[in-house]
Order: sequence, then structure tokens, then C-alpha cells
Amino acid sequence: MSAEGKIGVYLCAGCGIGEAVDVEGLEKVAASEFKVPVCRRHDHLCGDDGARTIAGDVAAGAVDQAVIAACSPRVMADRFRFDGARTFRANLREQVVWVHPAGDQDTQMLAEDQLRMAITQATRSSPPEPWKEGAFSDTLLVVGGGLAGLTAALEASRTGYPVLLVERSPRLGGHARRWSRVTPHRPPYREPRPNPLEDLIQAVEAEPRITVMTGATVARTSGQPGRFEVEIAHGGDGGTHAATVGAIVVATGWRPYDAAKLGHLGYGTSPAVVTGVELEDRLGDGVTAKSVVFVLCAGSRDPDHLAYCSSVCCGVSIKQALQLIEADPETSVTIVYRELRTPGLAEEFYRTAQEKGVTFVRGTVKSVGAGPTVVVDDALLGEEVTLSGLDLVVLATGMVPNSTDIGQPAPELDEEKLLPLKSDIDPRVPFPVAGYSGEAPPAHEPPAETLPGGASILNLQYRQGPHLPVLADGFPDSHFICFPYETRRTGIHTCGPLRRPMDMAETAIDATGAVLKALQTIRNVPKGRAAHPRGGDLSYPKIVLGPCTKCRRCTVECPFGAIDESDDDWPVVNPTRCRRCGVCMGACPVRTISFDDYSVDMLTAMAKAVEIPDEFEEKPRILILACENDAYPALDMAGINRNTYSAFVRIIPVRCLGSVSMLCVSDAISAGYDGIILMGCKSGDDYQCHFVKGSALAEERTADIEETLKSMMLEAERVATIEVAIADSGKVGGMIDDFVATIDTIGLNPFKGL
Amino acid sequence: MGDLSFRQRIMDLDAGRLTMCYQCGTCSGVCPISGDDGASFPRMEMILSQRGMGERLMGDAAIWLCHQCAACSTYCPRDARPANVMAALREYSIAHHAFPGFMGRALNDPRFLPLLFALPAVVLLGALALAGNLGALPGGEIVFAKFMPHVYVEAVFIAAVGFALTAGGIGARRYWRAMGPAAKGPGAVWGVLGDILRHHTLNRCRDDRVGDEETYKGHLPKSHLAAFYGFAGLFVTTNALAVAIYGFDLFPPLPQLHPIKLLGNVSGVVLLVAVMVFVHRRLFDGEKAGKTTYNDWLFVLVLLGVALSGFLSEISRLAESAALAYPVYFVHLVLIFFLLAYSPYSKFAHVFYRPTAMLFERLHRLAAGQRGQEALRRAGP
Repeated sequence: MSAEGKIGVYLCAGCGIGEAVDVEGLEKVAASEFKVPVCRRHDHLCGDDGARTIAGDVAAGAVDQAVIAACSPRVMADRFRFDGARTFRANLREQVVWVHPAGDQDTQMLAEDQLRMAITQATRSSPPEPWKEGAFSDTLLVVGGGLAGLTAALEASRTGYPVLLVERSPRLGGHARRWSRVTPHRPPYREPRPNPLEDLIQAVEAEPRITVMTGATVARTSGQPGRFEVEIAHGGDGGTHAATVGAIVVATGWRPYDAAKLGHLGYGTSPAVVTGVELEDRLGDGVTAKSVVFVLCAGSRDPDHLAYCSSVCCGVSIKQALQLIEADPETSVTIVYRELRTPGLAEEFYRTAQEKGVTFVRGTVKSVGAGPTVVVDDALLGEEVTLSGLDLVVLATGMVPNSTDIGQPAPELDEEKLLPLKSDIDPRVPFPVAGYSGEAPPAHEPPAETLPGGASILNLQYRQGPHLPVLADGFPDSHFICFPYETRRTGIHTCGPLRRPMDMAETAIDATGAVLKALQTIRNVPKGRAAHPRGGDLSYPKIVLGPCTKCRRCTVECPFGAIDESDDDWPVVNPTRCRRCGVCMGACPVRTISFDDYSVDMLTAMAKAVEIPDEFEEKPRILILACENDAYPALDMAGINRNTYSAFVRIIPVRCLGSVSMLCVSDAISAGYDGIILMGCKSGDDYQCHFVKGSALAEERTADIEETLKSMMLEAERVATIEVAIADSGKVGGMIDDFVATIDTIGLNPFKGL
Repeated sequence: MGDLSFRQRIMDLDAGRLTMCYQCGTCSGVCPISGDDGASFPRMEMILSQRGMGERLMGDAAIWLCHQCAACSTYCPRDARPANVMAALREYSIAHHAFPGFMGRALNDPRFLPLLFALPAVVLLGALALAGNLGALPGGEIVFAKFMPHVYVEAVFIAAVGFALTAGGIGARRYWRAMGPAAKGPGAVWGVLGDILRHHTLNRCRDDRVGDEETYKGHLPKSHLAAFYGFAGLFVTTNALAVAIYGFDLFPPLPQLHPIKLLGNVSGVVLLVAVMVFVHRRLFDGEKAGKTTYNDWLFVLVLLGVALSGFLSEISRLAESAALAYPVYFVHLVLIFFLLAYSPYSKFAHVFYRPTAMLFERLHRLAAGQRGQEALRRAGP
């Protein structure tokens, strides 16, 4: 029990709580067991009167930790926020009275345990002190001077922030500068539009807050968000320039897929076979042709080449077809497609091409031969069709992200620094645990996909290597759905075709989005606030070096490369790189890493605060450590939908399954729990984990704990990892009941009461 | 790759939205008669037309199996108007299979129109000259035989119909061969005839519709049936008259209540009403009703002219206006000649091509059914 904490317990009897459980029993827990100085009950705590009661106690100095035993912490957060006190919640509504029978003894026991856990949480938690040492920069570094980079620079400068724009080539504009015209992106979406690039370049050059450096690359990047130390190398004179920036937007764009690999499509056999990008240059020169075939998906959506769809080639080919027809109305254009992907209003553009008489042939190109002739396996006619008498064949090749600088040699990296890349490229590769206690990382087959060649763009001086981690197809990403502009390096944001294939209109929007996220970083960091997904969190991991064994698990497992190693192998936290997931805390074998308001001790104490009935009562206790991002909301929703499940479970929300130390698990088993569920997000290729690897790590670690269980002569089935999506609220109750049934079969924990 | 000039020619026959088709197949899905046990259309015809694959289309049974209910055009999400394309393909195929070929072109070219009318006019004027009526109209009671003796009428029209049947038959045979090897099956001809007499397919086009959208062709089952039986009635009337003249020495004009006269008048009225419905729909439903080309108008107006001139000559005869009756009768004969002699090349050619396609399809269906039955037998219980 915390000596300094002044805990007030507020019991709400509203929303059916008062009818379903004995609130007096709860008062007894607070007052007699925990001897809290203030304990009040109220019929609807979230009403004005209820909130005033709490605020009054806080204002009078009687309470600085308010334990609200009412609804889920996911609702009424603003209502129960009080200046001068921190709030803790016991979820009596969604996870007790809405899912368990009213007046039942087990329901009452659960409600009392919920209160015990919440009060214990309060006693084990200190107010977080933010990290904001030293000075911070508000400059934004934009790497890449193409459409995305130019847009990003302009948008950032217009919000008042200084921008440093670094472009490798001698002039701004990137690929897009070559386009004679571009696909339409505003009404009526019918005709090719003039290229906006020159205007954009002029706007950027005229902007006083933007410093443009062309012919320059980033030689190295160290530090952390708010204080990245960047070294910029000038290509010409070999000189360097040092700068401190607050955040980085990487907009290095794309390159066309290497057509030299498309020999089967006739590339290189005849000057009449060109790529779409090559055709762009010729269109600028006023090329005409009599009979043209466009081959869409040239090397795209093909496991031997580019596995994905680049999404722009259909629209671009239509644009080029229209330009050819405009140059010579007699031109006969055939577009061979697999599926024509003209999403949204690009459909209007497709209509134009149809009206102008472009022939669309659905099928796959079997070969491009001399002539040139194109042999198509026609999907609609169900036969092979030969297109001959052509004078131009255009291969619409896909986009490859410039996640590395292929113009420069790849740096030689030791295996450990390649691991974050490799494990991402092949998600089936188990996340390796570093040479802990002298053990080698588990052996695994090298990934089938080759690592991206070339030098790292930013050359990050991070313990986890110089690269931005990439996903399977080489796109740097952290969470495609929820956090599109985040990479796995906090404060470094990608946008444009580097992030995923996209057209120019999307790229401009994307660059703006990335800038907004980068500015959030610049503004949050000096206040010590986490940006995402735990926006505003002031806590950060603190390492007590005394017990540290230099095992390096935390430095290896951090999904965001936040922890470096000093020269003598001690872990060094870079607080502003941290996203506060707690994976390091879960990784540490000696519980030396903790947050002010979140620690292994806190979780263990909460688990132990539960009254474990002795084995003769035949009431098992199952501990659920539920990820607060998906699993906990799913459980709440099960409550909202009144999907009942066993009342033997005790649920503790965690920041991420990755933050769960196996010490918590073994302590809980020792304390007499009969089973433990780690409930988190989906892992693997299409992971849903908000911190990328948390749930995958939890699975790895549970595999390790099986050994511990066996050594204690306990069944491995007592600890399970369950993946729950937020939409699984209808199933989660069944999953819990299945687990409880398994425990029933195995029998109660024999260590109970020892 | 096909011939884009073919595609352009089809598009010029009021099917200009052909290239808008994106091959979704809605047309075949909503077609009340497509694909139950035979050819599925018009999606494939849209694809082939877009690609300019004319040769294959000219041997395609589906283009004549379609009865132009226009449900496809009504539901087409791209407004590509498949019904127009099908009609254009039919029109194109009539000229394509035409024997002799120049006649197919002549009927589609307004520049030949005076020549096409001049031919029957000159022939019939020659007959008038032979009868000695070129100088002055006959006097006394108005009897058309006095003006144009039966034997001349018979000679001219037996020749005209004979030519039409021969040329139409050759065209139909060309189409039949273009469709490829036909299956064999007994009774198929009678089945097709039964379908035609009952207008079975057109009724299905109306009754088996998939949705509630107005298709603008709902009048067809009734109006075409009326036109069909009106025309058939007039054909029977003409032949009955020949029998009356040569078998029973019964010479026109017959009394108004004579069965043959009655049949002729009733058939004429039925045909006239039907043709007026056609004209009305074409005028007032506009492009929603489907393709309208020179050829469409030429056929329906000649038909209208035949019916109107027939009644006008009868009425003026009864009104004893020789100055009106005889010239109108002459015009009537010219129009009938136009209608019948050019039938293998005008829109009337559907009487040759549509039954050909229906027979071809039915034979295939029967053969397929037989194969299916045999397969079932072999599979056994």
C-alpha cells in the first residue's frame, strides 16, 4: 500500500451495477481491506453531482488518486479527469454486471476483485514525469525533391516551420518532371491535364522558410525525434553540412521496375517495345504511331517480378493512349489488361478512352515477338489472339519503392543489424531474441526475398541498423491501416510512392498527411508527450542499471529501435524515439525496466490482489492479460452486447501483449491462478498489433514459458495466447469459455494456496 | 486482331456507343431468352463487335435469335446499347449475305432509292402500255383489271416473288453455311414454324423480363403479331383471289361482304394499325426504343405506303373517282413490288434469316438434349 497516495474509492450503483452486485460488499473491500481514507457510493457517478463529489474531495486535498468503480475505462474518460488527481478505473459495468448473472456469488467475487485490482494499481503507480531535457529543433528535414517532397516542404513551411529539403539529383522535380501531361484528378476527370510540377518547384524555391539543397544526400542521421543530428553530403565538392532537425519526412519516391527483366515481353528485342516511362519522353517529343498495344501489368502482380499492383499503370496507359490518339486520330490503340483498375472517378477517364475508340482486351500477354506481334491469351474469347502489324508496344511497368539508394553500394552490416529488415521481409521468420545468456539466436532459413540492395537513405546510427525497416515488398511501414505515415522509426515519416504505389494526386495528399504527423512529432517531443498511438502519454521506460545483465533483449526487441547500447553494452533509452508500448519491459528478464505508471511489479501486484479461492471451492481463476488496443475493447463490446462468459476470469488491461513479462505469468501461476490467457492482436504478415511485433513476441515468449511450466510439472495448456480482432466481440466469450473448459479438464492448479 | 473498319461500320448503324461496353455481362444476364439452353448473348457479340471480328459475327446465330426486346440496353450500366448493336449486326448481315451483292448495297444507299423505285415503275408502265392504258384511264365502272389486266400483274409479281424467294434463299444458305456444321434432328422445322406462328419468342421477351424497367419494346409481341397476321391475311387474300378468278370465274371487285373481300379488308386494317404503331413508337420513343437507321425507316414507310395506298385505291374506287383510283392503284403496285422483290435486302429479310438462325439453334439444342439424355442413360440408376 502506497504510503503517500491519498486514495479515494468511488462506487457507482448506476447502469444496473447496484442491482447486480452488493455495493456494501464492495465498500467493505475498500474500507476494511484497503483502509482507503475516502470511500463513497453514488447512484450515478458520471452525473454532475457525482463528478462534483469527487472534484470536491480532490480540491479539499483529501484525494489524489481516484479509483472509479463504475464503467469501462474506455468511456467517460473526460468526465472522470480531475486536476490534481489521477484516475484509476474498476470496470464493473462492461466486464461484470453486463456479462454475468445479477446477484450471483461469482459475480460478486468478480466485482470485488475488480475493485481490489484497481486500488492495487493506484498504490503501485506514480505520476509520470515527462522527459524533456535539453533543446529541441523545430526544423523539418524532407528527403527527396520530387512531387511528394516538394509538397511536403511547401505544406510544412506554410504552417510556419523551417524546412530543409535535400535532393540527390542536381535539380528538383523527380520523375514527375518528365511527364508531358498527367492523369486528371479534378472534375470532369475526362482529359489529361498539364503537369503541375514546374509551378510547384517555383513555389518551393520562392518560399523563404525552405532551404533547398540539391545534389546532396543524407550521410548519417543520429539522435532522436526533436533532436536528430543530420550530416548532409554534397555530391559535387564532397563537403558536408551538419544540421539539427526535429522530424524527418522521407519522400524518396520510386523507380520503374527493371524492364531488362521482362525479356519475355520483348523488351530489348526491338526499339518498338518500350516501357511506359520511356514513352513519356517520346510523347514530349511528339511521337505518333499507327498501331499501338499497351501491355498492362508488365511484370506486375507476378510472383516472379513485382508481386503487387502499382495501381497507377492503368490510368497512365489510358492517358498515354489518349495522347497518341490526339496526336494522330487514326492511331489504333489496344490496351491488354488483366483487370482494369481505374478506381473512383478515374472511371470517367476510362470512359473517355472508350469513347475515343481505344480497344480494351482482357487477357494476359503470352509473348511479344518480332514485328512486333503480341500474343494474348484472351480471357473473354477464351482463345489465343495475335495482334500484329504494330509499330509500338508499350510495357506498363510497375513502381518499386526507393527504400534504399541503389545508386550507392549496400553497406556491409553485421547480421544483427540486418535482423529488423529480414524479420520484416519474411514475417514467418520468428523474431530473434539476441544472444541472451550466451545463446545464439534461433537458426532460421534465410528469407526467400532478397534484402533491398543499395545504401540506406538516412544511414541511421541506431543500434538496430541504418535502414528504415521494410515490409515484404520493400515498402517502409509500421502499421498500414492505423498509422499510415509512421515508420518503425519514430519521428521519421514516409509518404508518396515510397510508402505504397500511388498516383500524383494521392501523392500530394499523402505528403500533406505525413507533414501533419511530422509536425505532431515536432510539437509533442518538447512536452515529453508520446505522439502515437499512445498520444499524449508522458511516461517513458526507465532502466535501473543495477540489476541489468546486459542481455540486450530490450535493445533487440524494441520494435522502434528506441534503445541503443553504450560502448560498454549498457542499454541507453532514447525517450523520444519511444512509443511507450512496453515491449522492453516485457522483454527484460530481470524486471529492471519500468514506467512510472506501468511496471511488472504493478501488473503482478494487481494479479495477486485477487482473492484466490482454495481448491476445495472448485472455483478456478483465470488471468486474462488483455491488450488495451483490440482485445480489451472487444471484451467491452461483448459486454455491451451481453455476450456472457465465465465469471472465473480476471482481466487486466496491458499496453501491448509485448509488454507482458513472463515473470508476471509465472508469478500468477505461483499465486494460484489455474490458467492465463494473453489476449492480443493478430500477428504475422497481416498483423494488427499497434506496435508491430507485440503479439508475435508474446507468442514467442509463451513458447519459452512452456519449459518453465513443465519444470513445475504443470500443463503447457495453462498458458495460451489468443488473437482477437476488435471485431471479434461476438466470439471472444466463446474463446474464454473454451479455455475455462480446458482448465476444467486439466484440473485446478496444484500450487494453490502454497 | 479484328478489323476496326468493321467496328466503325457497325457503329455507324446507330450503334455508336459500342466502345463503351466494358464486358460486365449485364446484357446477357437480363436477356429474357439468352442462354437457357443454347447461345448466350449479347455479351459475346459486344466483345466481337468491339474487336471488329466481323467474319465470326456474320456466322453467329445469336444475332438473329435476338428479338430486340431491348432489355439489355435498358439495363446496360454503360449505356452501350447492346440492342442497337445487335440490330446493326443484323442489318449489316443482310447486306453481307445478299445475293446479288450489289442489291444489298443498293438498299442501304439513299442514292439508289430513285433507281429502286424506277424499276417497278418502268416495268408496270410497260405493262400499262401493253394494255393500251398508257394514254388514258379506262372509262365506266372502276375495275382495276381494266386498267392493269390480271395476267400482267400475275406475271410481274410471280417474277418478283420468285426472284425474292431465290435470292433470299441463297442469302439464307450463305448464312447457314457461315454458321458452321449444323446438327441433325427430326421435327425441328415444325417446331420453328410453331414458334413463329405463336410468336413464342417475342412473348417470352415480354413475359420473362427480369426487372421492372420500361424497355420500350413491350408493344412488339402484339404489334408484330398483328403485322405478321395482317400480312399473311393479305397474302392469303391475293392467292384466294387467283383461285376465285381461275377456278370459279369470280372476278373482282367482289362484294364487300364476300369472305375473300372481308379477309382482305380485315387483314389490311390489322396490318395498317400494326404499322402505325411501329411508326408511332419509332417517332415518340426516340433513341430509347433502339436503333433507327435509313433502312429501318425505309422498310416501315414502304409497308405503311402499301397499306395506305391499298385502302386509298379501294376507297376512291368506291367513291367512283377514277382519276384518283387508278393512279393510286399504280402506286400501290409499285410499293408492293418494292416490298416483295427487295425483301432479301431490306429489313424484310428477317423472314429469311431469323427462321434460319432459329432452325440452326433448335437443331443444336435438340442434339445437345439428346446427348444429355444419352449421358443420363449411360450413367444409369
